Amino acid sequence: MVELKWASVDEIKALQGKKTEKVLGIDQHMINLYTDCIGDPNPKWKGSAPPGLITTAMISSGAVFLGIPLPYKRSVAAGTDWEFKKPYKAGDTLTTSHEFFELQDKSSDKGPRALMIYKSTHKNQNGEVVAISSNTIMSY
Amino acid sequence: MAQLYFDDVKEGMDIATVEKTPTTKTLVQWAGASGDYFELHYDKDFAQSMGFPGPIVHGRLEAAYLTQLLTDWIGDKGELRKMSVQYRGNALPGQTLSLGGKVTKRYSEGGENLVECQIWVKNPEGKEITPGTAVVALPSK
Repeated sequence: MVELKWASVDEIKALQGKKTEKVLGIDQHMINLYTDCIGDPNPKWKGSAPPGLITTAMISSGAVFLGIPLPYKRSVAAGTDWEFKKPYKAGDTLTTSHEFFELQDKSSDKGPRALMIYKSTHKNQNGEVVAISSNTIMSY
Repeated sequence: MAQLYFDDVKEGMDIATVEKTPTTKTLVQWAGASGDYFELHYDKDFAQSMGFPGPIVHGRLEAAYLTQLLTDWIGDKGELRKMSVQYRGNALPGQTLSLGGKVTKRYSEGGENLVECQIWVKNPEGKEITPGTAVVALPSK
């Protein structure tokens, strides 16, 4: 659960480079919850995990796990980039390294605005990179 | 599910449009499935305190729909390699979203057949609220 906290731009910039690691076992129940939600009945996802599963917050969102404060009152997801390197499946264990990469202060005479960029690397139980992702949160 | 082959892909080719209508129930399902419990997506008072008319659809849910658009299009032997999206507008639960795409480049590299695409999610007014790009690898016949 995300506990919203606020801090100044300078205080948040001081947290750039903060990292954490999360381990998550992939199981068929998790895959089913995902495919039921988006309405994806593809039989391929019995065993194999859909690439989109790795884009969900529980796996790809450093913002959820690192607990970096926000500079401004409102925040929304601004964009995401994923590179899928290797398939993964039920039974695999993913270890994800999350990093709060940087805060870009985009404030102007139109108002305050900051982009907060998180980068994550996802590896399987054999140490192979399964995916690399980057998520940007806009605070304004 | 039909298999798409590199031989059959042409630049400018459309990816058939798919519609999705996420409801408030879908947002609750997404929270449970994804672990994203940000109140903006289910708490009306919280959403309004942030200046939104009410809960909004998770951007990552829209992105998940786009991954399905692509994996359905490329078939079992195709592989989604890259995807980037920007969240430029908000969707409200109950709105019907149109997902689509277009092939922008077709090339071979490192022994692989790759296809680049523009992809998008449009709101009911036809505005691209989640545009992006993707790269897929396809088999040859």
